Amino acid sequence: MSDDAKPLERWREDFPVRWDADHYLTRRELAKFLTLGSALLTGATGALALASRMAARTEWPATRVPAAASLLPGTSVLFRYPTDADPCILIKTGGGELKAYSQVCTHLSCAVRYEAGADTIECPCHRGFFAVNDGRPVAGPPTRALPRVRLETRGDGVYATGMEV
Amino acid sequence: MQTRQQGSVLFAGVLVLIATLVIIQLWLLTAALEALLAHTYEILVPAALASLVLFVMNALLLGYVVSFDRKVRLADSSRSG
Repeated sequence: MSDDAKPLERWREDFPVRWDADHYLTRRELAKFLTLGSALLTGATGALALASRMAARTEWPATRVPAAASLLPGTSVLFRYPTDADPCILIKTGGGELKAYSQVCTHLSCAVRYEAGADTIECPCHRGFFAVNDGRPVAGPPTRALPRVRLETRGDGVYATGMEV
Repeated sequence: MQTRQQGSVLFAGVLVLIATLVIIQLWLLTAALEALLAHTYEILVPAALASLVLFVMNALLLGYVVSFDRKVRLADSSRSG
């Protein structure tokens, strides 16, 4: 006697989904899914290793920093290096020393600024602070130092000649 | 004689092991990303190699468990058949 000929059992009203029509995750499928995830993670880590090969730059352009010569002690000026998409900050310390760093905060990429009163580089987004001497983080959420721009004084001004990351 | 119950326990254990290795791979990925952002490229290739080793371990574990499961099913069907 087929199921269709029998009257509907009472319990079928309470459990209307047929077991054989339902799709449940088997342990074998879960194991295969995890192994696929493992393969994807391996691919992603390998892609990062490849990206490092492309990111490592060996030649840096020499770019003149405008207004560097006329900078007063305790002030700063913004410039772009090595490309127009890379904002940087040039600082003349109270002692007259020139220091330049990437303006992109290493925490969450906000624009940092020079605070002459505290003689420190501040990120206003999350109150991160960097030392002016070497760009290392001294307070707040940033954990990596600001990339430093190498400077060279030539006859016609100050030039940015590379970056130390 | 390999029983269905032994297979069930083995499968559960291997699933836990595979999940643990995947979590380690996740950690390797985040560490590699942090290193890339910090421009410290020395650890990236070793991290990728370590992740590859873990994936091979996962694949071997999966292969072992699937073959064990197949043997148990064959033994069951030959006993009942």
